[in-house]
Amino acid sequence: MKIIKNLALGVSFIMSTQLVSAASTGTTLETVSPEADRIALQNFYKKRFPNTELQDYVNGIYAVDADSRTQWEDIEAFPPYEFDVEEGERLFNIAFANGKGYADCFENGGIGIRQNFPYWNKEEGTVKTLEQEINECRESNGEKALKWGKGPIAQISAYMAWTSRGKVFDISIPDGDKKALAAYLDGKKFFYSKRGQLNLSCANCHVQGSNIRIRADLASPALGHTSHFPVFRSKWGELGTLHRRYKGCHQDSRSNPLDMQSETFRNLEFFQTYMSNGLVVNGPGSRK
Amino acid sequence: MKKLIATLATVLATVLANGIFLPTVAVAETFDEAFEMNRAMYGKDHSFSWTGKQYLTTHPEEVEASVEATKENAEDLIVKAKAKNAEVAKVGFEWKLTKGIIADADAAVTTGDYRKALNLAAQAKYHARIGLQQHAYAEQNWQLSVPQ
Amino acid sequence: MRKLTTSMCVTGLVALLATSPASALTVEESIAEGKAVYMGKSRGNCISCHQINDPDANLPGNQGPPMFAMAQRFPDKRILRAQVWDATKNNPISIMPPLGKHWILSEEDIDAVVEYIYQF
Repeated sequence: MKIIKNLALGVSFIMSTQLVSAASTGTTLETVSPEADRIALQNFYKKRFPNTELQDYVNGIYAVDADSRTQWEDIEAFPPYEFDVEEGERLFNIAFANGKGYADCFENGGIGIRQNFPYWNKEEGTVKTLEQEINECRESNGEKALKWGKGPIAQISAYMAWTSRGKVFDISIPDGDKKALAAYLDGKKFFYSKRGQLNLSCANCHVQGSNIRIRADLASPALGHTSHFPVFRSKWGELGTLHRRYKGCHQDSRSNPLDMQSETFRNLEFFQTYMSNGLVVNGPGSRK
Repeated sequence: MKKLIATLATVLATVLANGIFLPTVAVAETFDEAFEMNRAMYGKDHSFSWTGKQYLTTHPEEVEASVEATKENAEDLIVKAKAKNAEVAKVGFEWKLTKGIIADADAAVTTGDYRKALNLAAQAKYHARIGLQQHAYAEQNWQLSVPQ
Repeated sequence: MRKLTTSMCVTGLVALLATSPASALTVEESIAEGKAVYMGKSRGNCISCHQINDPDANLPGNQGPPMFAMAQRFPDKRILRAQVWDATKNNPISIMPPLGKHWILSEEDIDAVVEYIYQF
């Protein structure tokens, strides 16, 4: 027995300082409390980055790392997504063959409404995202659906976000709607589950590992993740949607990734956006 | 470089300050744990004893692959690997490289390299099995890193 | 049970003292191979999270602890090997991929990378 005690592992001890306390509630449909989750996650970051204001989390890694913030502010002085917003506005205003347009499909003519997405659609019993409704608008007017990841759909989404800048996210889960709560829980579970050959959860990098280097890259905090999409990503050299990023991240865990706008990815967006309730829309954004 | 030294010093200081140099090694309670511990420490084909009997740290899939390198045997193991991978895909935990490994195994059969095909099929089947294990574990333990 | 585990560990120590890891490579070859595993993005990519005092280590990350005082921290090299093989054994939420358990690296590559980092 003595020998066993002497045989030991150092790495795990050092790593264990990063371990956050185990959950005692909120893992089942009966016990999950989105509001308790949101407060706990926000408190986690408050403790981890005491000098960062809550509202600043919409700026991702630049909210917590001063060095990369300076570089990013230089980029934002001449935003790389400027052309995309203009193109998005142009596309948004082109009438469909039947004479109707996007403005006819959305509340308030589609202007200043980004903060209402994603939302729980009771009739359809599913989470609806902005990109999904852009395509549904097209299809219901006899147009072909756009591809989910980049190009026109990202540009239209970027323009719609642009017109909503500064509006506050307030995602709600209808009281007593077990199906809506189940969708939220599915998103939460996806976020915290380790998966893929590399055995990584979203939380591994973006909660435990936030602002710690993976090679030369710093993992962003999860809070505010959805506020600034679509994003012009230097690595892509173009604009892309949130679900394009989800798919890439999922694949980076060496998983066979889910499809963009699949039910689970929409549930993930639902969970993540709920976590960011109280933060503002600041999309489109630019990121490394 | 200075930064590295500073970090190293911090790590050492933390270790010393806590008065624990290293935590203890896990004690194997089940056969699977004993197998894993031995495979982890010694790699494959290592002999260990469990409740009085001798075993080898060879994965079941590696045992399956250690048959005669024939076309039939290779194709047989590839079929099994595909079936296991379909199982893990069904629960949403298919790994990214597995299909490619199976494709490489198929290609090795075409070129007549049946040994290579067997080994690749074994790896793919193992990946699928561990993916299923990973899914089962996540179902029970996903909440471990949820901030409270 | 305890007795069995103890005897296995003793065997481990004896084996460690008596032999080098089972491999056809010389120690130098093994270290060179281990370095390639450590630095290689499609191999171990250990450098993405662990600093190491090797002049060729370019832009290491710091998600994990630095490779430092390894022989002191792991008097039994086999225990270090087990940590590389599956770090979640000791910390279930560890970000470190289980390089052996998930067959990300071959067992030979794991032997090699352990030889390499054990020098630091």
